[in-house]
Amino acid sequence: MTRVRVTAPLSAARPATLSREAAEESEVGQLFVRSLIRTQLRLAIVVAGGFLLILCAFPLLLAAVPGLAGARVAGIPFDWLLLGAGIYPVIGLSAWLYVRTAARNEVRYRDLAEDK
Amino acid sequence: MNPAVGLVALVVVSVATAVIGFYGLRISRTTGDFYVASRTVPPWWNASAIGGEYLSAASFLGVAGLILLSGTDALWFPVGYTAGYLMLLLFVAAPLRRSGAYTIPDFTEARLDSRAVRRVTSVVVVVVGWLYIVPQLHGAALTIRITTGLPAWVGSVAVVVVVCLTVVAGGMRSITFVQAFQYWLKLTALAVPVLFIVFALMGNGSAAVAPAAVNPTGIAAAGPYQNISLLVALLFGTLGLPHVLVRFYTNPDGQSARRTTLIVLGLLSVFYLFPTAYGLIGRMFAPELARSGQADAVVLLLPGQLIGGTAGDLLSALVVAGAFAAFLSTTSGLVVSLAGVISQDVLGGSVRGFRLAAVISAVVPLGFAFTTDSLALAGSVGLVFAFTASTVCPVLLLGIWWRGLTDTGAIAGMVTGGVLCGGAMVSGSVLGAAGTPFWLAQPAAWTVPAAFAVMVVVSRATKRRVPRTMARVMTRLHTPERPLVTER
Repeated sequence: MTRVRVTAPLSAARPATLSREAAEESEVGQLFVRSLIRTQLRLAIVVAGGFLLILCAFPLLLAAVPGLAGARVAGIPFDWLLLGAGIYPVIGLSAWLYVRTAARNEVRYRDLAEDK
Repeated sequence: MNPAVGLVALVVVSVATAVIGFYGLRISRTTGDFYVASRTVPPWWNASAIGGEYLSAASFLGVAGLILLSGTDALWFPVGYTAGYLMLLLFVAAPLRRSGAYTIPDFTEARLDSRAVRRVTSVVVVVVGWLYIVPQLHGAALTIRITTGLPAWVGSVAVVVVVCLTVVAGGMRSITFVQAFQYWLKLTALAVPVLFIVFALMGNGSAAVAPAAVNPTGIAAAGPYQNISLLVALLFGTLGLPHVLVRFYTNPDGQSARRTTLIVLGLLSVFYLFPTAYGLIGRMFAPELARSGQADAVVLLLPGQLIGGTAGDLLSALVVAGAFAAFLSTTSGLVVSLAGVISQDVLGGSVRGFRLAAVISAVVPLGFAFTTDSLALAGSVGLVFAFTASTVCPVLLLGIWWRGLTDTGAIAGMVTGGVLCGGAMVSGSVLGAAGTPFWLAQPAAWTVPAAFAVMVVVSRATKRRVPRTMARVMTRLHTPERPLVTER
């Protein structure tokens, strides 16, 4: 078996850091960075808040609609199905939405930072 | 259960772990390999490894046991464990990877430009890690006692020995291979028996002993406060766990750290369906396990009890193998991250120091495990999450997103959270399960806000201490590393 020597690839070696450094130095660059951070934070809070609302809605729904918790779907009690399986797709969907939007925000930031 | 079954399963998993560990040794040569696998692990591997490391004794045994005991209330545990990863993705994953630090203390030192913060963070991280290893060893002790009849300590010692061997041999690189393997082993070990059980129950048309809603024991159900406090602990505790965080450094960049987390969420969601199924089946078909105080062993005992015969033995062996994979993977992940912290802070950061630190990080909790009694596994891990959420979580969140954080504020907040939550844990164990008031038994709902509040207020009061490097560090944390593939 051949031994592969793996060395640490430092992101500093990449040309893209030119724009990172430019962004750090100038005042306009800092403005863009601040706005990127604000956008990403707002996105994270909106996604987290939305998810928590849905999470709270599940037990409230079970409490509000009488008989719902005891109903059975394919032999499994509905409250178990909702809390034990139904929440996971909501988590996955929130995560997917976030990853997509966060990447788009970064593309937009890069366009701004490199155009100036 | 046939005692040989448990032993064979234990030996096979330990040998497989060691073999994969040594295979990894061949390609681990640099110090970077040892600490973080040189950040060159592809997302799917890395995600499997994160899943493998995260799914501990609490997830494999404890969740099903708790569901058996407390029914739908306990479903918040798997939900919280998974949703914690969502919070990690939203607030921490990409910036932390971009920080370029190896460990949490590295991160806080770089962000706040302060050695003192580094030391406090290191202490907190080591405490969290040790607290979290103890339930793993309790789980191993329980599994050995139930399945083989050997003295319980054999299980804890076996886990510590195997972990020390693999970590000392290969560091993070080999651990990544081992963990990825162990995720899939754990999933198989839960999924295959549960499918067999469902088919067997449907095949012979056996009727449920009790409906799922019936409480098998006299223990009172948790109120809304406990559920909310638990969710706070799990949601915010995950993003401060040292062994989870160190994994993100093995991604090549921030965007791939996010993609990895997305895959992890999928893997966790699939996994947690199965402990839930065990809990539900246990409640309906074997509620007597809860009354005999063996709730945590429900996953181990159910196949033998409901299927029996050779098939039952084989399925039990599979479950025992999965359980040991859980103890080994979480413990080795914790040992690697603790060894990283201890060796860098105390032993100079060499590979040799790392090996020595690994042995220290594994042996100390073994001592704790011998001197403490095992509580319900999922419950004691829940307390560790509460501690992390009150200490590491505020400093990470505020450090990443708030420009005003100062070193004094960070230390004050971590100490406040640590003292409050640690105090609640200690007084809870002194008073015993019956005598502890509910707000002490689940402290996260007030200790986490207190830690955040102290951190913000003290930082505001010491505004002049905001480090001069702050703007540069914040830029580094949040801006993308390289031209992104056009995704417009």
